[in-house]
Amino acid sequence: MAVTTVDAPARRAARSKPSRGKARHSAVGYLFVLPFMVLFVAMVLVPLGYSAYLSLFEEKLIGGEAFVGLKNFAEALMDEAFLGGVGRMALFLVIQVPIMLGLALFLALAIDSGRTRASRSARLLAFMPYAVPGVVATLMWGYLYGPDFGPIAQGFEALGLTPPDMLGESGILGSMMNIVTWEYVGYNMIIMYAALRSIPTELYEAAAIDGASQIRIALSIKIPAIRPAIMLTVIFSVIGTFQLFNEPALLDSIAPVVITNGFTPNFYAYNVAFVNQDVNYAAAIAFLLGLVIAVMSYVVQLSSQRAERKVRR
Amino acid sequence: MALAGTAAAFSIIATGCSAGDDGGTGEASASPEVATDEFDEAMSTPTKLTFWTWVPDIENQVALFEEAYPEIDVTVENVGQGLEHYQKLRSAIESGEGAPDVAQIEYQYIPSFTLTESLLDLTPYGAGELGSDYVEWVWNQVAVNDGVWAIPQDTGPMGNLYRTDILKEAGYDAPPATYDEYAEAAKQVKEKTGSYISNLAANEPTQMVALLWQAGLEPFGYDGAETVTIDVNSDGAKDVVQYWQDLAQADLVSTDAGWTDNWFQNIANGNYAGWLVPAWGPIFLQGTAEATSGKWGAAPLPQWDASTEVSGNWGGSSDAVLASTENPIAAYELARWINAEPEPTTMFAQEQFLFPAALSVLEDPEFTDAGVEFFGGQQVNKIFAEISATVNPEFQWLPFMEFAYSSYNETVGVALEKKGDAVSALDDWQQQLVDYATEQGFTVQ
Amino acid sequence: MTATMNAGAASSAAGLHKPRPRRHRRGRERSTALSVIVWALALYFLLPLVWLAIASTKDTSDLFSTFGFWFGDSFALWDNIQGVFGYKDGIFGRWALNTLLYAGVSAVGASFLATLAGYGFAKYGFRGSNLMFSIVLGAIMIPLTALALPTYLLFSSAGLTNTVWAIIVPSLVSPFGVFLMRVYSADAVPDSLIEAARVDGAGEFRTFFTVAFRLLVPGFITVLLFALVATWNNYFLPLIMLNSSDLYPLTVGLAQMQSAGTSGGGGEVLFSTVITGSFISIVPLIVAFLFLQRYWQSGLSAGSVKG
Repeated sequence: MAVTTVDAPARRAARSKPSRGKARHSAVGYLFVLPFMVLFVAMVLVPLGYSAYLSLFEEKLIGGEAFVGLKNFAEALMDEAFLGGVGRMALFLVIQVPIMLGLALFLALAIDSGRTRASRSARLLAFMPYAVPGVVATLMWGYLYGPDFGPIAQGFEALGLTPPDMLGESGILGSMMNIVTWEYVGYNMIIMYAALRSIPTELYEAAAIDGASQIRIALSIKIPAIRPAIMLTVIFSVIGTFQLFNEPALLDSIAPVVITNGFTPNFYAYNVAFVNQDVNYAAAIAFLLGLVIAVMSYVVQLSSQRAERKVRR
Repeated sequence: MALAGTAAAFSIIATGCSAGDDGGTGEASASPEVATDEFDEAMSTPTKLTFWTWVPDIENQVALFEEAYPEIDVTVENVGQGLEHYQKLRSAIESGEGAPDVAQIEYQYIPSFTLTESLLDLTPYGAGELGSDYVEWVWNQVAVNDGVWAIPQDTGPMGNLYRTDILKEAGYDAPPATYDEYAEAAKQVKEKTGSYISNLAANEPTQMVALLWQAGLEPFGYDGAETVTIDVNSDGAKDVVQYWQDLAQADLVSTDAGWTDNWFQNIANGNYAGWLVPAWGPIFLQGTAEATSGKWGAAPLPQWDASTEVSGNWGGSSDAVLASTENPIAAYELARWINAEPEPTTMFAQEQFLFPAALSVLEDPEFTDAGVEFFGGQQVNKIFAEISATVNPEFQWLPFMEFAYSSYNETVGVALEKKGDAVSALDDWQQQLVDYATEQGFTVQ
Repeated sequence: MTATMNAGAASSAAGLHKPRPRRHRRGRERSTALSVIVWALALYFLLPLVWLAIASTKDTSDLFSTFGFWFGDSFALWDNIQGVFGYKDGIFGRWALNTLLYAGVSAVGASFLATLAGYGFAKYGFRGSNLMFSIVLGAIMIPLTALALPTYLLFSSAGLTNTVWAIIVPSLVSPFGVFLMRVYSADAVPDSLIEAARVDGAGEFRTFFTVAFRLLVPGFITVLLFALVATWNNYFLPLIMLNSSDLYPLTVGLAQMQSAGTSGGGGEVLFSTVITGSFISIVPLIVAFLFLQRYWQSGLSAGSVKG
């Protein structure tokens, strides 16, 4: 994301002719960004630098602290728990994100089409879970999943079926995907819906008059028009997935055995830092995780640009 | 940037100071005890203390303490239970800022704090003379490696709580006395009532460790310096785990995760006909399974060897004074006073239902002879007081029990949950512990 | 990404700010099939909350023994509410106020800083601005734990842990807000307007506060809402920063309440209290959402995501 943003304003600046006194005014620009940048440096860059520094050391319970260079990073790359967590999140990404964004897109299109009854209320209902803190959402779903007394299991049993083991080893990842989907479909929908609303109606009204179906209009006019909004939701979802923390941390108390320490990479970093008391290794893991996220975001962006070029050709 | 730099500089200065203090107390331990006038002066100087504990309503005991010493002002903070509490404690110690003066510490975590020299040796303040006031095995937990590191508060000698009605339905008037009988009873209970005789929570290493403790095993050891002993996959340990694995695989004992809503309900509705649980179990049940009042009984654990009765311990806490405290005398007196004086200790037992560590309460007829309606009028306290006397007196811990427990859950716990091969998972657990200890620079025996 | 966004944006910037008025056109009949699917989905979002509302009327034994989506034998809502507010001498009310304070101050502060910075980035081509902006954007990818731990260590060496500042100060930084406000400012505030104010002799900050800010309000409110939700829902930061339960926000308080029954030794079982507390804690936010919903949409459609 960052990469392409650099040249965008630059190009634009090059295009616009320099106005008189630009230099004088430009100094004022610093003053505008200064308050934010001061806090940004203090709350993001300094801790990040400190974390980088920590990742180069090793502290043993016996023998104290020693500089070890990149040893922590090398270890993390061989660490089954860390790699397992990253792999699990990749699976999460491949399954949950398309479902969530597909639902969000479908809802946004359906509501935007004006063909749904009481669409305003439906939109509000879909957006409501975003107001529910992750802590509360996870607590709540935890009860709903309960194997003997949860309403879902009750429903299955009433139908004479065996309820799925939603908190067991086979079901827990799916259950977690469901919680995240429930929480964020509405949020993504709002982003897409907002973008849909800003497409000039002329673009597709003509097509409608020509007799194109709503589905066709959605596929060939609306979706391409809001591609940037969809990309934004994809990138945020990639970032969000790899940083999953609240859900495993809180499900850990109701499904303690299946939620392993390395269930998600972020949860692993937390456990390494606070349970294993290994701040240095945790810092290395967090850095590698950041790297994975940056690479994934870049790949997503690149492939989308490639796809777009193909479409244009 | 500049600000952060200055802050870092300050913290270095601060750390320098506290290191100096540590040196001071180290010398003090060699010198004679704190003199009476020193004590009097400390206790009559206005002082603020911070006390981290998660014992509910401990404010009542602290209020009594403040009444006895009006100049001392104690702030009680509940920073979380169990792991969360220790994480915060360690973070505060690490950063050299914000650590309390006195903190609740469960027995198994004491070595991990003495390792980092974070606790004050209480011997020079008079703690060395308190040993005879407490049960022997409890005192052995706090008085290790030539120091006294905490004052015992409560304990958890293991017993067997069971549903008398369900056992009767299965044909038993008395609880099984040996493990062989227990296995047989498990079969009868399952066949005749459909219940499990008990639940061995897969995520409860502390329960398993207590059962190993009962079996006379010494899976852990620490010499107070750089050497640890790790022996979790001994033949004895494998026998114990094999026993439970067999029951779990035959579906006679469940291995559901503990402390979940599901687990609470299974207790309340009799799906579990019993629970091998420490002395804090009875009051816990009364809050959880109110509707089953009068249907419960308490007994000692089943035995491996019918001729001698032994038990282990699960849980219980002590109060320790942090080495970083600026008011060691007042802090020590707080830890001692609430856990040694008759009024607060009786109150712990009668109102918070902590199972006492102090002999004075354990031997007090008012405590032991009380009948409990929930247990059909049984004198539950007396039963557990007797069990307490049978706990194996020697049991040690590793200075990294957080890792040991979390590693147990990832190995043995997973195997139990899946009703798989928990016995060979003991080897994995052993391996992980040895690897971790070696990595951390310990010598492993 | 913004490169592609801006390309499209330039062509139709003027028309995009306001959501277009929805006209009811002839020939646009409602589709029953579509309605059914949409409403089935809406039910999926609603049902868990319905369960929570019903569960908060039950006592602990009904909670587990009666059907989840219907009322139990008892109607214990009032008792439960008393249980929530009576818990530890009414600490729940304190948590609620803390949450309001943290979320309110952080959100207003964060969106104000983001608006200033976004406007600065959009309207002033100063040296290094592109580099700075890219760094800010890149920060979105940093995992929480990479920052939380060192931030904690730095805060504690400054003696700031276990204070309100430990929650508020880190929450004032919203890189996404800056991103949003930069794109928004670029389009919402015409350069000619700023030029005109300059010709009139107004200083740059005066121009910002008297002319530009009014045009930026919809974007500002959008960022405000994002920041509000982010702080309101934050669990991790207060979890590691705070020790005194007097300072907890609702999220940490509820999680601690939930775990109070576990780990033995004098614990109590608080299921119905936790459930009712959860329910009470989300009601204000949901109500606020219902009233403020149009702002989400207007700010977003105008700013962050348009083509």
